[in-house]
Amino acid sequence: MTDIDETMLIALVDGELDEVSRRRIERAVAEDPALAARLDMHVRLRDRLADHYAPIEAEPVPAAMRALLQAEAKVVPLARPVAARRHAWMTGGAIAASLLLGLGIGHFSGGGGGGDGPVAVEQGTMVAQGELASALETQLASAQDSAPIRIGLSFRRKGGGWCRSFEGQAISGVACRQEQGWQVQQLVPGSGQETAYRQASSGDVRLMATVDALMDGSPLDAAQEKAAKARRWQ
Amino acid sequence: MSFESDLLAILPRLRRFAASLSRDRADADDLCQAALEKALRARDQWQPGTRLDSWMYRIMRNLWIDEGRSRQRAARTFAPEEVGEHVGHAGDRDVEAHVMLSDVDRAMRSLPDEQREAIALVLVEGLSYKEAAEVLDIPMGTLTSRLVRGRGALIELLGEAA
Repeated sequence: MTDIDETMLIALVDGELDEVSRRRIERAVAEDPALAARLDMHVRLRDRLADHYAPIEAEPVPAAMRALLQAEAKVVPLARPVAARRHAWMTGGAIAASLLLGLGIGHFSGGGGGGDGPVAVEQGTMVAQGELASALETQLASAQDSAPIRIGLSFRRKGGGWCRSFEGQAISGVACRQEQGWQVQQLVPGSGQETAYRQASSGDVRLMATVDALMDGSPLDAAQEKAAKARRWQ
Repeated sequence: MSFESDLLAILPRLRRFAASLSRDRADADDLCQAALEKALRARDQWQPGTRLDSWMYRIMRNLWIDEGRSRQRAARTFAPEEVGEHVGHAGDRDVEAHVMLSDVDRAMRSLPDEQREAIALVLVEGLSYKEAAEVLDIPMGTLTSRLVRGRGALIELLGEAA
């Protein structure tokens, strides 16, 4: 009779025992065939599971997953910061953008509020105005090749409503549609303020954290984005 | 090494982990893909210097738990009379998958989630008890008791009894 319980036996098999305990169990096993049989059973089970799943690890990685990671990897180099960084926002479904006719942002400018910058402070909150407000309201991520402000992700906000990330020369950020307009949730320096010593993706990291905290589900794809725009983000 | 290439390097292990959790290989790769997308969006939450594999196991496991809950809701919604008998079974695809499954797959699938994830992390992925308990956010004692119960069930199902 021994006082070796199942927990100790499997801890031995899992390599979790210290030297003293291990020797104690091995001595007990040597004297007790029933215990030896139980130990053997556990060793065989662990081997069988490991062998069963091992071939999966040896398989080539599916192309879709490899592509996802390799597309992302291109973000890291400092070359082409605007295009590459925008690419980083485009994961999670938004890549399926089809080509649509571009919208001339200039036709839509002329927002209200004080001053003529992209963001006004109204009643203690930052609200997009002018070109930025127009881009947020009307620009599709799939049709903005030469637009001064580029839309990154559009997504449903937790608790309801819509948000979009954007990137311009001077500022980049995330804004959410409120009744009165686009309320800016976060602003960071834009792509024009990159220095050679700054990591190309550091602006993204901050914005993506905000996006991730706000987002309910996945980003909109091109068709969903178009539909949300048609409903005026209501 | 970039974040992405580090992920690529551990991807074969992540796929293996997904396969040991999921009902079939298609579900496993869906889970894996979703976990990668989630990781890329949340990359700033990973602290360099900590283990990326443990972080990914946790993301994957949490996605899997969430999916399991919605699958159970769907099962209740669509087949209220059969609850208890066929929970988790969802029609033709399931039958098809069942035919393809080996004994080990079937035995793993029959385990309660909490035992299956413990077995997958320790016996298949080879994590230490401490690492596995951290991924699952449970005390070591809870982990070891799940390992004991899960193993008991597997041994019975697989006829490994001595």
